[in-house]
Amino acid sequence: MYDAIIIGAGISGASLAFELAKYKLHIAVIEKGSDVCAGTSRGNSATVHSGHDAAYGTNKAIYNVLGNAMFDTLCSDLKVPFFRNGTIIFAINDADMEEVRRLKHNADLNRVPGVEVLDREGLLKIENYFGPEVIGGLYAPTGGMVCPYSLVIALCEQAYRNHVDFFLNSKVERIQKTKSGFFVTTPKKNFETKFVFNCAGTHADEINNLVSSNKITITPRKGEHIILDKKLSPYVRTTISQTPLNLPGGGHTKGMGIMPSVDKTIILGCGAHDVTDKDDTATTSIGLEEITSYFEKNWRHLPISEKIPKFPRNMIINAFGGLRPHATTDDFIIGESEDVKGFFNMAGIESPGLTAAPAIAQKIVQEAADKYHIEKNDFFVSIRDYEKPFREMDEDERRQAVMNNKEYGEIVCRCELVTKADIIAAIHAPLGASTVNAVKMRTRAGMGRCQGGFCSPVVAKILAEELGIDLTEVTQSGEGSNIFFPKTESLSQRNSE
Amino acid sequence: MKAYDLIVIGGGPAGMAAAIAAKENGCENILILERGPMLGGILNQCIHNGFGLHTFHEELTGPEYAARYAEKIYNQRIDYWLNTTVIHMDREKRVTVVNANEGLQILQAKAIILAMGCRERPRGALNIPGSRPAGIFSAGTAQRIINIDGYMVGHSVVILGSGDIGLIMARRMILDGAKVRVVAELLPYSSGLKRNIVQCLDDFTIPLKFRYTAIKIHGDKRLTGVTLARMDEMNKPIPGTEEFYECDTLLLSVGLVPENELSNDAGITLDPRTCGPVVNDSFETDAEGIFVCGNALHVHDLVDYVSQEAETAGKNAARFIQGMAIREKGKKVTLCGSDGVRYTVPQFLNSNRMDEKLTIRFRVGDVYHNAFVSVYFNDQRVLHRKKPILTPGEMEMIELRKDQVNRFTDLESITVKIEKE
Repeated sequence: MYDAIIIGAGISGASLAFELAKYKLHIAVIEKGSDVCAGTSRGNSATVHSGHDAAYGTNKAIYNVLGNAMFDTLCSDLKVPFFRNGTIIFAINDADMEEVRRLKHNADLNRVPGVEVLDREGLLKIENYFGPEVIGGLYAPTGGMVCPYSLVIALCEQAYRNHVDFFLNSKVERIQKTKSGFFVTTPKKNFETKFVFNCAGTHADEINNLVSSNKITITPRKGEHIILDKKLSPYVRTTISQTPLNLPGGGHTKGMGIMPSVDKTIILGCGAHDVTDKDDTATTSIGLEEITSYFEKNWRHLPISEKIPKFPRNMIINAFGGLRPHATTDDFIIGESEDVKGFFNMAGIESPGLTAAPAIAQKIVQEAADKYHIEKNDFFVSIRDYEKPFREMDEDERRQAVMNNKEYGEIVCRCELVTKADIIAAIHAPLGASTVNAVKMRTRAGMGRCQGGFCSPVVAKILAEELGIDLTEVTQSGEGSNIFFPKTESLSQRNSE
Repeated sequence: MKAYDLIVIGGGPAGMAAAIAAKENGCENILILERGPMLGGILNQCIHNGFGLHTFHEELTGPEYAARYAEKIYNQRIDYWLNTTVIHMDREKRVTVVNANEGLQILQAKAIILAMGCRERPRGALNIPGSRPAGIFSAGTAQRIINIDGYMVGHSVVILGSGDIGLIMARRMILDGAKVRVVAELLPYSSGLKRNIVQCLDDFTIPLKFRYTAIKIHGDKRLTGVTLARMDEMNKPIPGTEEFYECDTLLLSVGLVPENELSNDAGITLDPRTCGPVVNDSFETDAEGIFVCGNALHVHDLVDYVSQEAETAGKNAARFIQGMAIREKGKKVTLCGSDGVRYTVPQFLNSNRMDEKLTIRFRVGDVYHNAFVSVYFNDQRVLHRKKPILTPGEMEMIELRKDQVNRFTDLESITVKIEKE
């Protein structure tokens, strides 16, 4: 019997697990993917939004600003890469400037700290260069960048260390209301619980509609991004976008932006297209074309164009798609269901959801604790034990590390400088990696220029060794995504045909 | 800090040949640093034959070719460290290495030869839309898994790109029981060797579709299929030409990129066309005493040429260490390609220092029939040679003699061109 079941281990579920673990509760997180952070939270622009553009008075505005302020402490406690590089929304004509002033007014209402309207001179104090047509813009200094999957993994790991149970590969099939709470059915295991927290991302409507008569609808809205090579990182500092007027996807996005990831690659994106398949994170030719043609056309405005005059198509190293769980109400749906006691929603957490989630989780948990008189857990540990990976060490630390453990001397992924020791640590960590993609998310092995060409077979071998399984059982991302087959099998197949 | 006369980064065909040549030219204190568990590099996974026709006048497999050089390394007692990764290098020729036994060390060299080879261009660089299931491999990765690890990568295969590794892997997959549905090539010609198209595709009746590429990847967990389409002149898919191929494996053979992360560390100037360092006729980069050869310099079609080039680099590195290299004197002459010649290696020469003969290697950017390879000294044509066929897949060579170069006063640039007549 659990006190609380959290459905979904994205940023919402992870934030809730972390917050709930601060109370004396027996908690489980149920995730249908083979790893945490398998859906929406993995494919986004990694941006910690300042909150300047969320419409005043909405949940999005309130929790965006509250969430943003939590990131320094949260990321420092959890050892998650995060920095505040500021956001600039530039204008090239008077209509744009009008929009900039509107955004400033909105930012003030939302109580976003430090937002300024700048003329061209002002912008040039922040970045050395802007294209000649740029006349001014909005500057929001609290905008930042985070590694979204590192954050989700760290939150889950820390929840796990504080005794939250995790069940992966577990899709919720049914939820029944019982006298004392709920009965949750998954293919492998059933759960009894007092409270249910719905953090099911694009599927949150299905979960809600299983128990509540207040039906909600979540539309998956696709956003695609392109990643550019690290070599460009010296030229991209502030997150920069154009005013959202006349942009592809117009009102649905904060506009096409260029931003520096915490890993020094450059992220470009993104557009917004409603789709029907709630798990379809595939990139599309239209979506990718939208990004490349936008940046080809508007590259000249950006500070980077001083040194790199044309959009460098040959610097594209990858692209990814992600889904925003868009609620038809156009706002976050958060809190206890009106008609079902003990059932809490954290739904419709689309952009700026990554920024807002820690604050929303805090609010939901606080309300639940007050209402149901839940006691604090005095043993909660908020600071994450974290072994610095080889690539983050300085020379002396590296020398010491290899002396203590020879496996640090075996470089597996040379693009990202990941050692065998780092990979083994990721496999044996709490909620450790059990697939090639899970190792990739935790260590960056395979995320560099060669995209795993050299290291992915080695990573698979280490997984097989450490998990005590055959190489043919190692998967890329869970059941059905096997990578290797025995040679004899193909031979016998041929003979039988 | 341990010190060596010569450090060779990479123990593949280029690194081994360079080290042997350096030793034969009087360099004693040599160390080869190899990332893998044995000398030979990528040759170890190339178990097909066809290597060594020029060097040994017989057809060897990759491992056999590598073994001939490895034996010389052992016999000449050239020192090498295996399972060792170089994580940094600077212009002062300090090399930071890591391995399990020696730990992290900084080594000082008098000269360095870069022989890191190349890497395959991954899917991301192509930006093919679609999902990201298991079953997509670069052709070389699949080759390693099948030939070294001893596993199969799938049963039903589509190959994208007709580079040599893709062609070789088409045959390899068939021999191991898989079905190869099609090879799709974006260009109107193959970038692979003619002999590989005949021996690996034609002999197994595998269709090769020109001007086709993948426009969508299907499948959630494991690949279930690929949609190919014909491209127009702007490389946009032509509507109505889409074809769905059911498959569980997609192999990518879409180009090789010289590995030059370490060259970047040392601030060495790279040629954007070759993606390798800019070099002079000694194969020396713009960092004095740092030489480069093999696929780290530019991507080769035949390993025999890698060995030849590496020998020159090794010999020159030995000369440099012995203080025999002529540095300041002589004139710097620029070498370049135009009119269909994508690049030349080297990119410049020193007219005084150069050997009696210099081989200029280059590649063309398109297929030419019955065209002429011309060499211009400044604006004057000095060589005009008819070629029945020139293709981007095959590296071309011309030789210049030192007296030819020195006879020409005021020589500033040498240009290689393709001319119709």
